[in-house]
Amino acid sequence: MGMPISHIMTSGMSGIRAAGDLVARMQLAKNMRIGEAKDYVAKKLDVTTDDLSDEYVMRELREDLGIGVITSVAGAPKGIAAKMNIEKLLGIDINCCEKFRGQLK
Amino acid sequence: MSKEEMFKELSDAIVSCKKDAVEAAVEKARDEGIDAAEIIEKGLAAGMNEVGILFERGKLFLPHVMMAAGAMEAGVALLEADMPKEEASKKLAVIVNGTVEGDVHDIGKSIVSTMLQSSGFEVHDIGRDVPLQDFIDKIKETDANMVGMSALMTTTLSGQKEVIEMLKEQGLRDKVKVMVGGAPATQAWADKIGADCYAENASEAVAKAKELLI
Amino acid sequence: MATEYKLRMGDGKRIFMTKEQIVADLKEGMADAADLGEIPELSEDEVDKLADIVTMPSRMVGVEQGKEVPVTHDIGTIRIDGDQGNSGVGIPSSRLVGAMMHERAFGADTMELGHIDYSYKPVKPVIAQEMQTMEVCQQNMIVPLLYGAMPNMGLYYTPDGPFPNPGDLMKAFKIQEAQEAMEHAAEHLTRDTVWIMQRLMSSGADGVNFDTIGAAGDGDMFASLHAIEALRKQYPDIYIEAGMAGELLLGLHGEMEYDGTVLAGLWPHQQAPLAAKAGANVFGPVVNTNTSKSSPWNLGRAVTFIKAAVEASPIPCHVNMGMGVGGIPMFETPTIDAVSRASKAMVEIAGVDGI
Repeated sequence: MGMPISHIMTSGMSGIRAAGDLVARMQLAKNMRIGEAKDYVAKKLDVTTDDLSDEYVMRELREDLGIGVITSVAGAPKGIAAKMNIEKLLGIDINCCEKFRGQLK
Repeated sequence: MSKEEMFKELSDAIVSCKKDAVEAAVEKARDEGIDAAEIIEKGLAAGMNEVGILFERGKLFLPHVMMAAGAMEAGVALLEADMPKEEASKKLAVIVNGTVEGDVHDIGKSIVSTMLQSSGFEVHDIGRDVPLQDFIDKIKETDANMVGMSALMTTTLSGQKEVIEMLKEQGLRDKVKVMVGGAPATQAWADKIGADCYAENASEAVAKAKELLI
Repeated sequence: MATEYKLRMGDGKRIFMTKEQIVADLKEGMADAADLGEIPELSEDEVDKLADIVTMPSRMVGVEQGKEVPVTHDIGTIRIDGDQGNSGVGIPSSRLVGAMMHERAFGADTMELGHIDYSYKPVKPVIAQEMQTMEVCQQNMIVPLLYGAMPNMGLYYTPDGPFPNPGDLMKAFKIQEAQEAMEHAAEHLTRDTVWIMQRLMSSGADGVNFDTIGAAGDGDMFASLHAIEALRKQYPDIYIEAGMAGELLLGLHGEMEYDGTVLAGLWPHQQAPLAAKAGANVFGPVVNTNTSKSSPWNLGRAVTFIKAAVEASPIPCHVNMGMGVGGIPMFETPTIDAVSRASKAMVEIAGVDGI
């Protein structure tokens, strides 16, 4: 386990601790290279690209936007609810959200 | 044509991997009165060595190595009539080669077997994921001079050490050379477990086997 | 006496080297990659920067602030609940717990669900379990969650599969039969992978990770590229990661082509455009570590190969940096000093889009 944690500490964007999941999602959804993905997400969040790896900036912003925070905040969107907000924020469709909507009667 | 040019033609024919070209070159060399042993060693075997280098560099691939080995075999067969009977059938040494128990990696070990075989060794490839006792049994059965052991995982590497211990227990260690290989193996590992040599790739395996056995 | 720096061999062992020795090894590794791949060497500035990273006194180093990249995860949760055979740490836990630990405790940017065997073929008999687990994970997680496994075409040959083993056929000089066996196996591998992912996409998977493409040679890549192509056609929005097994695509068949390109003998910078052409979103180039060489030699070589791949790739490149790849020592517990340095070098010099 030391190896992946070392990578995250050395180079990673900290996932939902900051905005790593959002940047990764744009790379995976739209083939965006790192610079383009960071610019896109920063613009959508109205922050700088440096802020995307800044826990201080992202902690409150994530809670405000309802896109999931790393600490378990009671009542805050989690799982699919958080991802539905990410869909709107980033302007993309997420497969599990589509499936969830499809299951509603 | 000078001898050197003839050896080059033989070597190039092997690198072309074409049986017809090798047979033609061998006939030509024989007609020029070159000794059969020299044709094999300085022409055909030198070509196989070049094939090994091109394989390591990603310029030739396994099917080519096999075709080259097949062409070499055909070339050697043509020369057998010219050689003393015992020399024609004589193999350099007997080697048992396999991937140790728990490890299913096959490709690298098979390439080493092929290269050793095409260099004149009698090779008994006992496959992958081989129970350690099988190495000992095969060594006894074939009266082998060397055992080659491959491991591709750090977790199966210890099998190489265990076989060495088993060889000692059986009183075979002094008569059987041990070669180890595989991505996690190193010269330091070979030294640590008391192997006779470590080979990084197939060409090195051939060179080291020749160094230790001939 | 010249200052000596604490470094590692490719197997992780501690060594001491002077700056001159380090630079010499960096350059030798770089030259090896440039020679084999017929790609440009690093500039003097880049070599100097690599030497600076390698000789930094702190145990752990980090990328400059603002240069962070996503760190994606393969091997699923096997690292948590797996055994020594797959480098797991043996903590009894469900895969949901494992995946959420990566997301919540470790700060992973993406995660992957995989099963204990980690090859596609054995997923077929347990597909319902995989679908159920994917649904539960997707309901609870936020980071992109892919399904991942190894194409592992070797499982389609005897004794594990229906086709004759090309290794045995080759040894018997039955080259054409060996090639035919590979072609049949590739067809089945493509079909199985697509079938599996159709079901996982119906369970909400974000996408798929092909881990260690090419481990069974060019046929393995041929099958994977065709599976990627089929999945992209059926699911335009699926996330697809194509990760390789090594820097050189071994030509076990030797004549297989994709999009008019012979697959055998391709290096990372030649593999990336093909993965993109097939429809992958992210390419994972790999450079294996030589255990008999020093970490600077390995890092110089790996960074040179990866930099060329990043430049040639039309899609993001997430370099593979597990044990024994990407300049990291091949050791069960790779040392943090070596991992951290390799990680920083890949981001800042090779310019990777992720890890």
